[in-house]
Amino acid sequence: MTRARQSSDVVGRWRLWVVASLLLVLLALLVGRLVLLQVLDQDRGASFLRQQGAARAVRVAEIPAYRGLVTDRRGEPLAVSTPVVSLWANPQILRDSSRIADLAGALQMPVADLQEKIALYADKQFMYLARQQTPDRARAVLGLGIPGVRGQREYRRFYPAGEVVSQLVGLTNVDGQGIAGIEQSYESVLQGAPGRKRYIKDLHGDAVRDIGVVEEARSGTDLALSIDLRLQYMQHRELQRAMAETGAEAGAAVTIDAWTGEILAMTNHPVFNPNSRSGFDYAASRNRVVTDAFEPGSTMKPLTLVAALESGEFTIDTLIDTSPGRIRVGRKVLPDPRNYGEITVSRIIEKSSQVGVTKMAQVIGHEPILDVFRRFGLGQPSSIGFPGERSGVLPNRERWSDIEKVTLAFGYGLTATPLQIAHAYTVFANGGEKMPLTLLKRQPGERVSAERVISKALADQVVTVLHRVTGEEGTAKKARVEGFSVGGKTGTVHKVGPGGYQDDKYVALFVGISPIEKPRYVTAVIIDQPKGDAYGGGAAAAPVYARITDGVLRLRNVEPTEAPEINTQLAGLGGGH
Amino acid sequence: MSRSASRSSLGGSLMALAIVASALGLIYSSHLCRELYAELQDLETSRWELEEDYSRLLLEQSTLASPHRVATTAHETLEMHEPELSPERVVQQ
Repeated sequence: MTRARQSSDVVGRWRLWVVASLLLVLLALLVGRLVLLQVLDQDRGASFLRQQGAARAVRVAEIPAYRGLVTDRRGEPLAVSTPVVSLWANPQILRDSSRIADLAGALQMPVADLQEKIALYADKQFMYLARQQTPDRARAVLGLGIPGVRGQREYRRFYPAGEVVSQLVGLTNVDGQGIAGIEQSYESVLQGAPGRKRYIKDLHGDAVRDIGVVEEARSGTDLALSIDLRLQYMQHRELQRAMAETGAEAGAAVTIDAWTGEILAMTNHPVFNPNSRSGFDYAASRNRVVTDAFEPGSTMKPLTLVAALESGEFTIDTLIDTSPGRIRVGRKVLPDPRNYGEITVSRIIEKSSQVGVTKMAQVIGHEPILDVFRRFGLGQPSSIGFPGERSGVLPNRERWSDIEKVTLAFGYGLTATPLQIAHAYTVFANGGEKMPLTLLKRQPGERVSAERVISKALADQVVTVLHRVTGEEGTAKKARVEGFSVGGKTGTVHKVGPGGYQDDKYVALFVGISPIEKPRYVTAVIIDQPKGDAYGGGAAAAPVYARITDGVLRLRNVEPTEAPEINTQLAGLGGGH
Repeated sequence: MSRSASRSSLGGSLMALAIVASALGLIYSSHLCRELYAELQDLETSRWELEEDYSRLLLEQSTLASPHRVATTAHETLEMHEPELSPERVVQQ
C-alpha cells in the first residue's frame, strides 16, 4: 500500500517536473523570441512586428481618379465625370438587422427583393446594394446608419449633349473605361491614375480612420475636340429631318475645315442615348462617317477631271461629242439620261455625263486616275485613329478589263468612307494642299505639315467646275445656299446586295465646298436608301447639304456675297461686330 | 574625482531632460500630425462636395444652354426666326 502510494508520488512528481520544464522551455522560447525581436536584432524585429500589426489592422483602399472632361472647341462639355456613390453592404452583418424594411424603403426597392439579394450573398462579405447613386440619394441611405451598409465614392460619366454626339464621343462602361468613340481612342489621355490610401480597420472590416496617402490620384487630362457643338447640333437636326423626308434608314454627314484639317461636325443616324446603358444598340453606335466604306460613285468624277487636266489632253473647255447619249464598252452600254450632244469637259462634270467621262477615261487610261485617287488619300487610313475606322480599298488588279478601266473613272470598283471622300475634296478647297485630319482642336501656333497634291491653278479650276454643278445646267441646283456661292458634286450609287448591284436601292451622296470665293468648308452628306422618287444625290442629299452649309456659313461668320448690299460708310460706327 | 562625478551627474540629468523634452516633442508632433491629417480629410470631403456641386452645375448649365433648348425657345416661346437675306447689310471695315 505505502509502496504503491510512494511509487504514485514518484510518478506524480516526475510528471510535474516534465510539465513544468516543458512550460519553462516554452516560456524561454517566447522570451527568447521577444529578446531577439526587440533587443538583439532590432532592425528586422521592428519591421517584422510592424508588418504583423499592419497585416491585422491596416488596409489599402483605392482613391478614384477623375476622368478628363471632353469638350467641344468652344469649351462646351460633351462628357463630364460626376461624383456618385455606390452603396454596398456586408450581408453577414445586414442579414440579422431589424431595419431591412427601412433600408429597402430608402433604396426604393421591394423588401422581398432586398431579402432575396441578401440570401443570395449570405456567405459573402460584400455585395452591391445600388451602384452609382447620386450623392443626395446615397446620403439618404447612409443617413439611416444601418450597420454593415457603406458607401464607396466613384465617378460616373454623363453626356450633356446626349445623342447629338453619341457615336463620336462614344461612352464608358460601368467601370469607367472607354468602350466606344473618343472615349475609347483617347482612353490613355482621359483616364487618370487611381491613387491609394491606407486606413485602419476594426474587427468588422469597417474603416476606423485613414492613416495616410500612399499615392495621390492623378486626374485625367481634359480633351478639347475640333467639333463645334452648334454645328454638330445643326447638322444632327438637318440629318434627322432628311431621314423623315426621304424615308431613309440611315445617314451620315461630316463637315471639315479644309484650311486646318479640323473636323467641325460629324453626325450619324440612327442615334442612341449614351446616358442610358440599357438602350445601347450596337448598330446605332456605329460612326458611319468613318466605319462604312462604299463605292463613292460620281463624287469621284472631279478626281477623274484632275487626271484628265494633268494629262494635258484636256482643258475644262475641250469639246467632247457625247452623241448619241450612250456608249458601248465591252458588252455593256453606258447611257446618259438624254443626248447632250457636243459639250465641254466642264459641262460633262456638271451633267455627270457617263458618256463624256467614259471618253475621257479611254484617252487618259486607268493608271493616272488610280494615281490621283491615291494622292487624294483614298485607300489609306486617315490620321484620326477612330475605333473601327476603315480605310476603303483601291483596286489592285493584274488585268483590267475595258469596262473596269472605265467604271473606275466614275467611282465604281473602289470603296471609301464618307470621311475619306470629304478629305479628298478638302484638297480643292485648300488650294491643292491636303491637311492631315484631326478630331482635336488645333492649338494656336501648332505647326501642321500640309501635303501638296495638285497645283493651286488646277485646284481653282476644279472649284470653278464644282460651282457650275450647282448652276442652272448642273445636277445640284438644290445644293444652293441663299446669299452664298457653293460648289459640289452629286453621287447616286446602287447598293450592293447578295446578287450584285440592286436596281431599286441607292445611296445618295453630295460633297460640297463653300464659299466658292474663298473655299474653306467641305461637307459630305450620305443618305442610305432614300425611298420614293427623290432617291438621287441631287434630290435627296443636296438639299441637306444646302441647309447644313447655310448654318455653317452663318455660324462661322462668313460674309454673304450675293444678295445683300455692301455698306462701307457704316463701318465707322463700329457696330455689327 | 568628485568634480568629475558631479559633472557626469550634471550631464546625466541634462540628458534625462533632453530625453523628456524630445518625448514631449514627439507627443506634440504626432498630435499635430493627427490634427493635420484630420484637416486633410475635411478638405478632401469638402473637395468631393465641391466636385459634386461643380459637375451638377456644369450639367445644369449645358442642359439649359443646349442648342436644342435654345432653338426651341427662340422659335416657339420668343417667336424668333433666322434673319432673311434681304434686310441683311454687310459692313466692311
